[in-house]
Amino acid sequence: MTTFRIADDVAWVSREDLDDGTSPMAYAALLPTGPPVSLEGSACLVWLAVADGGTMEEILAETAVMADAEPGAIRDDVRALVDSLVAIGLVRAD
Amino acid sequence: MTADDGVTTGRMPIGARVHLAHALVQKLAVDAGVDLLHLKGPAFLPDLRPPGRHSSDADVLVRPSHLSRLVAALESVGWEQRTDFATGSVFAHAANWWHDDWGWVDVHVSWPGVTIGHEEAYDVLAAGALPQPIAHIACPAPDRTGQLLVLVLHAARSIGSTEADYAWSRADDAEQARVRALAATLRAEVALAAGLGELEDFRDHPTYALWRHVSTGGSRLDEWRARLKAAPTARARAELVAGVFRVNRDHLRMELGRPPTRQDLRRRQALRVRRAVRELTRLVSGRSS
Repeated sequence: MTTFRIADDVAWVSREDLDDGTSPMAYAALLPTGPPVSLEGSACLVWLAVADGGTMEEILAETAVMADAEPGAIRDDVRALVDSLVAIGLVRAD
Repeated sequence: MTADDGVTTGRMPIGARVHLAHALVQKLAVDAGVDLLHLKGPAFLPDLRPPGRHSSDADVLVRPSHLSRLVAALESVGWEQRTDFATGSVFAHAANWWHDDWGWVDVHVSWPGVTIGHEEAYDVLAAGALPQPIAHIACPAPDRTGQLLVLVLHAARSIGSTEADYAWSRADDAEQARVRALAATLRAEVALAAGLGELEDFRDHPTYALWRHVSTGGSRLDEWRARLKAAPTARARAELVAGVFRVNRDHLRMELGRPPTRQDLRRRQALRVRRAVRELTRLVSGRSS
């Protein structure tokens, strides 16, 4: 079973860390080359779910709870986003 | 989830940029075998920082003998040097690098007020360093006592700063005693006194006038007089005198937003001379009235 986690050498910070919790937002970069990436709204929720690590189903379930959405309604979006994050090196699939 | 949500690149808020810059500098340092400590802002313990205050740059203290390696690493990823150590401040302790994505990093080889050798001072501050997570990357910072001392020494040259007051007033007697002991080890007692409003205890010290100037302000003439008095050797005094009318090319570049031309430098030189003459005139007329 493939699991996902934030890749090594990725620096990231969320608005929560910055005491600015107006809406879900995180900024991440693969060090040392970057570039920095902004993860806004639901992308940030998926990111936070990936930060806990897990299978695609676990990430989907976690995101659905945070987004107050039906897992079935967001499954394709979550999967596509996680795949994109893997492709740009911010997330590692093991 | 909405269609507007997503992943984008572009400008980040300064707070996020500072966090990521600390993490990136740490990564570069590890890869290049560079010893450094992260200072202030997100590198320091949360209860030492007044709520709601954010840094605008990433401050690091590098082991002086590792400076050239750090500079090479910074420049390898596109950081550009904007000020050098000689012109960065009266203490010649730091230089700034700028990156369009990561913002400012302020590289220190010493911390103003510390008067033992830079390399030795680094070892003292690095002893017991704490790994402080910044942007989820472990970044070494001085221990709590070192952090508090760094804040007070910084306040000593920051007119109107209340950051150190916040941390110092929350420290108990034992913690304050540890900070004073560390200041003694680093021979930073005069600067510590300036940061704590106790500078009059060092009225006869050669650096008294300099710390009074940087902690309370004054004219450029006052500054040069204080720097001359604090200069430890005749050679250091001669170098200072030579620099009195020299234009700070780095500051002028930042002010203009472009490299200064020869004409810019000549104009600024003339302005400095006129300003010095005005200050001198005011001083003389003040004394004779």
